[in-house]
Amino acid sequence: MRTTKGLFGLVAVGVASLLAVSACGGGSGSSTGGGDTSSSFADCATKPLTCNSGTTKQGGTVTYTIEKTISGWNLNSAESNTFDFQEVLDGVLPQGPFINTPDLQPTLNSDLMVSAEQTSTSPQTIVYKINPNASWNDGTPINADDFTYMWKTNNGVDCKTCDPASTAGYDQIQTVTGSDNGKTVTVVFKTPYTDWKGLFGPMYPAHIANQHGDLGASWKWLNDNQPTYSGGPYVITGYQKDASVTETPNPKWFGKTKPSLEKLVFRIITDQNQEVPALQNNEVQTIYPQANADIINQVKQINGVQYMLGKGLQWEHLDLNLKNPLMADTKLRQAIFTTIDRKQLISKTVGQFDPGITPLNNHNFMPNMDGYKDVISSTGQGTGDVAKAKSLLTGAGYTGVGTALKSPSGAPVQFRCSFTQGNVLRQQSCELFQTELQALGIKVTPTPITSLGDTLSSGDYDMIIFAWVQTPFIFSGAYQTWLSTSSSNYGHWTNSQSDALLKDAAQNTDHAKAVQDLNDADQIMANDAYVLPLFQKPTFLAAYSNIVNIRDDATSTGPPYNVQEWGMRAS
Amino acid sequence: MLAYTIRRVLISVPVLLGSTILVFIMVKLSGDPLESIKLRNPPPPPQTIKLEEHRLGLDQSWPLQYWNWLKGLVLHGNFGAAVQPSDNIGSEIGSHLWVTMRLVFFSVLIALILAIITGVLSAVKQYSALDYTTTFFGFLFLSMPVFWFAVLLKSWGIWYNQNVSANTFYTIGDKSVVLENDTTWGHITDVAGHMVLPTIVLGLAGYAGWTRFTRASMLEVLNSDHVRLARAKGLRSRKVLVRHALRNALIPLTTVTALDIAALLGGAILTETVFQWQGMGALFVQSLRDKDAHLMMGWLLVSATIVILFNLIADLLYGVLDPRIRHA
Amino acid sequence: MTEPTTKAAAPSAGKPVATDPATGRVEREFTVKDRSQFQQTMRRFLRHKLAVGSLIVFLLLVLFAFVGPHLWKYQYTTITPDNSVPPSMKHPFGTDNLGHDMFAQVLRGLQQSIKVALSIALIATVGGTLWGTISGYYKGFVDNALMRFADLILTIPSLALAAALANNFSGSWWIIAIILGGLAAPYVGRVVRGMVLSIREREYVEAARALGASDIRIMLRHLVPNAFAVVVVNATLLVASGILAETSLSFLGFGVRPPDTSLGVLITLGQGAVNTRPWLFYFPGLFIILVALTVNFLGDGLRDALDPQQTRQRR
Repeated sequence: MRTTKGLFGLVAVGVASLLAVSACGGGSGSSTGGGDTSSSFADCATKPLTCNSGTTKQGGTVTYTIEKTISGWNLNSAESNTFDFQEVLDGVLPQGPFINTPDLQPTLNSDLMVSAEQTSTSPQTIVYKINPNASWNDGTPINADDFTYMWKTNNGVDCKTCDPASTAGYDQIQTVTGSDNGKTVTVVFKTPYTDWKGLFGPMYPAHIANQHGDLGASWKWLNDNQPTYSGGPYVITGYQKDASVTETPNPKWFGKTKPSLEKLVFRIITDQNQEVPALQNNEVQTIYPQANADIINQVKQINGVQYMLGKGLQWEHLDLNLKNPLMADTKLRQAIFTTIDRKQLISKTVGQFDPGITPLNNHNFMPNMDGYKDVISSTGQGTGDVAKAKSLLTGAGYTGVGTALKSPSGAPVQFRCSFTQGNVLRQQSCELFQTELQALGIKVTPTPITSLGDTLSSGDYDMIIFAWVQTPFIFSGAYQTWLSTSSSNYGHWTNSQSDALLKDAAQNTDHAKAVQDLNDADQIMANDAYVLPLFQKPTFLAAYSNIVNIRDDATSTGPPYNVQEWGMRAS
Repeated sequence: MLAYTIRRVLISVPVLLGSTILVFIMVKLSGDPLESIKLRNPPPPPQTIKLEEHRLGLDQSWPLQYWNWLKGLVLHGNFGAAVQPSDNIGSEIGSHLWVTMRLVFFSVLIALILAIITGVLSAVKQYSALDYTTTFFGFLFLSMPVFWFAVLLKSWGIWYNQNVSANTFYTIGDKSVVLENDTTWGHITDVAGHMVLPTIVLGLAGYAGWTRFTRASMLEVLNSDHVRLARAKGLRSRKVLVRHALRNALIPLTTVTALDIAALLGGAILTETVFQWQGMGALFVQSLRDKDAHLMMGWLLVSATIVILFNLIADLLYGVLDPRIRHA
Repeated sequence: MTEPTTKAAAPSAGKPVATDPATGRVEREFTVKDRSQFQQTMRRFLRHKLAVGSLIVFLLLVLFAFVGPHLWKYQYTTITPDNSVPPSMKHPFGTDNLGHDMFAQVLRGLQQSIKVALSIALIATVGGTLWGTISGYYKGFVDNALMRFADLILTIPSLALAAALANNFSGSWWIIAIILGGLAAPYVGRVVRGMVLSIREREYVEAARALGASDIRIMLRHLVPNAFAVVVVNATLLVASGILAETSLSFLGFGVRPPDTSLGVLITLGQGAVNTRPWLFYFPGLFIILVALTVNFLGDGLRDALDPQQTRQRR
C-alpha cells in the first residue's frame, strides 16, 4: 500500500482496501495512552532504535502478517513497488547503502557498507565503499556491477522495456564507476540531487540478472521469479502463492548479527478485520494493521501480547479545489479552514485510542523529523474559531453568514466533501466538517467516491480528504507535489514565489538551506489556505512479548528493517 | 440422452460468450486498472505506463481487446494477461478452483446428510417437538447473514481454543505454514482444524433450505397414493419409508442441490474472505479490486461452466432416477 | 438469491392451483364458488398462528422503521457528545465513536433495508411475471430469446454479478434495489413460465381463445392469476433473501454506501467491534434476523394457505 520509493506515495490505502473497512476510533474509554506501560515497547517513543531489545535464544518461528498477495518480486518495478513486498524482502535483499531506521533518518547500512560520502558538490560526487566481505549467497561479491545494473535499469534511458517505479535521481546520474576490485563505487551526478541517500536500494544481483538476458529481459525475470538468491540475513525457502512466504537463515550472511530464528514466516491476510482473531489464536505472532479502537482494545485483551502506537509517516489532509469558482476566493478558503476544529476531529476519531495525536502543522515534515516547523498555527486555521471565520466572510462581502451563505455575487455556497468509499475515518471526518460548516451557513454533502485517482485527476471534487505518505527523502517529493505546474497538484494552486523556493530546495546540496526554503514555501501555501494538514496517522504494531528486538519502523522499510535481530527471548 | 446432452452443451456456448461480453463491459466501465500505478508520486515515467498498457492490451479499442482475448482463449487456451504481472490466469484459476471445490464438496456432503436426516425425521414425526425445533432452526439459519454468522463462529472457535488451551480450530487459511507435529496424523488434524469453521458457515444456508425441502417432499410422498397402497398392503412402515417414500422424495432433492451450486459459489466469496482461503471467491474479489477484465472473464467462464455442468447433471440425474422422465 | 425459488417452487410449482381465485369477478361464466375460495384461503392462513404472528411483527417493524425516526429524539445524522458509550437509558443501543446514537442509526438502517428488500421483491416479481408469462405464452423465438437471456444471468453467481454491476454506480438504495431485483427476476420468470406452459393448454384458455379473446387479455385474465399463488409466495421469500443479499453486498463494499446506511452497512462496520463494542454488531444483526425470519414464516404460511393440496395434507 505504501510505495517503497515514492517520496509521497499517494495513499492507495483507501483505494485498495476493498474489504478493509473497519470502524475507526471509538474505545472503551479506559485507554491508558500510547502503549501498555508494562510492556517493553513502553520506551519506543524516546528510544525508537533500542526499545524491546533483549538477548535471544537459538530457534523458534515468528509469523509476521502482511496484507497483500505478492504479485511480483522486483521491488524497483512500478508493478511490485509495494510496502508489503518490501517487508518480505527486507531480510533477503541488501537494503542499499542507507537504511530508513525507526528514527526516520537514512542511516548508513553498516553491514553492507564501510562508508558512503559526498566528496564533491560540483559536480556532486558520492563515493561508496562496500564491505569487502559482502557477497551474495552463491559466493559472488556484492560490487559495483550491482550498482551499475540498478542505475541502468532505473534511469529510463538504458532500458526501454523496464518499468521503474521512479527514475528520480537515477536520471540525474552522469557516471557510475567501479574501482578497487569493484568494492569502491564512484557516482557522479549531472545535476545536484538532494536526496541521494535514497538511491541504490534495494539491490538485486547483477551477475544472476545477466544470466537471464539483456537489461529488459532480466528486469522482467527478476519480477516473475521468486528469489533463491540472497544478500541479507535470510533466504526464501518456501512460498505458497497468496498464502505465505517462509524464510530461513542465510548461511552465507556476512553481517554482524546472525539470525537466531529457525524460521521466519510472512503470512498474507488480505482482510484487516481477520488479523486480530488470527493473532489471538496464535496463528500469527505479530501484526501491523491500520490502527483503530476496536483492534487496540481487542489486542489489549490477549494474554502475552504487547503493542505499541507509533508516529506514522502517513498524514491525512483536507484539500480544496481551486478550479471551483467559489473556492478560488482566498477569504472563503480561509474561513472554511478556520471553522474546522482539528482537535474535535481528533478527539472524535483517532484520539480515542491514541491520546498522543495532535494536529499536524506542516505539509512536508512530520513532527518527529528534523526540519519540522509549525506553519499553520499563525494562520488560525483548524481551530474551530467560528467568530473569526464569520468576520472574514462578512468583510469579504458574503451574505447569509450563519444561515445560508451566499457569495458576493449572490451564488449559494455549497460543497461536496469527497472521501474514498469504505474509508470510515475519512467518511466520519466529512460528516464532522458537514456539522461544523453549518455554523457558517455552508451546506456540505459528504460524497463517497469509488476511485480516488479518477476523482483527483479529473478534478471532480470541491473538498476532498486523503493522505500522503512521507519517506525521509522530502525535497524532490515536495517539488513534485506542490509545484504550480505539477500533475499531482490536483487543486491547481499556483504561486511563482513558492515554485522558486521548491525548486531550489530540491536541488540544493546544502541541507539546512534546503530545509529553510521548503518551510518558507510551505508558509506561503499555508497562508493561502489550500491544503489543511489534519493529523499524522498512528502506526500500530502488536507482537507476542516473547519476541525481542522487533519494533516499529514507520518508514517505507517497515518493522522488518532489523529482521536479523528478531528472536525468542532468552529466559 | 446423448443427443440431449450435446444439444444442451451447444446451447450453453452462446450463453457463456454472452456473459463474458457482459462482464467485459462492466469491468471496463468500472475504471482504469493502472490507476494505482499512475497515481504514485513521483509518478512513474511515461514509458512504464506505456509498457503496462501494451502488456494488458489497453492501447487497443474495446472490441479489439475482447476479440484478442477470445482468439487467445480459443486458439491457445490462454486467458490473457493479468493486472498482477506474475499471475498466469489459467493456473491461478486451477489452483483456486481446487481450494473452493474442496470447501464446497465437504459443505454440501455434511449439509446434505444432516438435511436428509432431520428432514425425514421431522416429516415422519410431523408436529412433534423435534419437527418444530428443526423447522425453527432451519428458518433461523435461512435468515442469518452469512458473514455475520461467520464472525460469530470465529470468536466462538477462539474462545473454545483458549478454554481447552489447544489449537483445535484455525481461523485463517486452509493449512498451517509451519507444522509442529509433522506426522500424517498431524497433517490430518491440521487440515481438519482449518476446515471445520468455514465448512459450517458455507453449509449452513444450504442445510436450511434442503432440510425444509426434504421435509416437504417427504410429506408429499407419504401422503401419495402409492405409499398409502403400500401401507394398505401391510408392508412394514420402515420398509415403506425407505424403499418407497425416501427414494421418491430424494429425486427432486438431487436436482435442487445441483441447482444451488451458483448460490454456493456466491457464498464462497463471503466465506473465503472471512477465513482467508485462497479460493475462487478470493480470486473474484481480486479481479474486482484490480479492475482486471481478463481475470474476471476467466473467473466467470469457469464458474458459469460449473453451474451449467451441474444443471445438466441435475437434468440427467432426474431422468436416471425417475424412469417416467426421458430426455428426447 | 437462489434459495427462494428452489424452496418456493419446490412444493407447489408442479401443481398449479386448479381453480382460478382472482378471475371470478370478471369471468363469471367460468367461475365456480369464487368467494368461498378466497375465504378458504384466508381461513387457512389465519389458522397458521406462526404466520399471522409473523405478519403482525413484520408490520410492527415496518411501522417502527418509518414512524420511529420522527418520534425519536436523535436523527441518524446527529452527532452527540457521547462517544462509544454502551447501551443506556439515554442511548438504548449505545453510540459509535463519532457519537451517533445507534438506536437512530438502526432505525434508519432498518428503514433503508426494508425499502431495498421490498423494492427487490416488487421489481423481481413484476419483471419476472411479465418475463415468464410472455415467454411461456408465445413460445418459439420470443421464448428462446428470453430464456437464453435468463440462463445467461442464472449461470453467474448472482452475488458476483451484483458486486460487479454495483461497482459502477454510487450506492443509492434504489440502485441496489434495481440491481438485485433485476437479477432475481429471471428466477421468478422461469417459475412463472413453467406454470404458464401448463396452464395455456387448459380447456378454459382454449375456450377463451375460441371466443376471440386477445393475447393480452388471456395473459392478464387467465395466465397471471393462475400463477398468482406461486408468485406471491416467491415474492415474500424474495423480501427475506433481498435483505440478506443487500447485507452481503455491503460486506463486499458494494451495497448502500455511507454516509447513508442500512443494516448491512451497520454490521459490516461493526464486525471489528464484536468483542469490544458488541452493541455495534449485535443490534443491527438481530434486526436483520428478525425481518428475514418473520418474512420467511409469513411466506411459509402463505404457501400453505394458497396451496390447498398440501394444506389438506398438513391439517
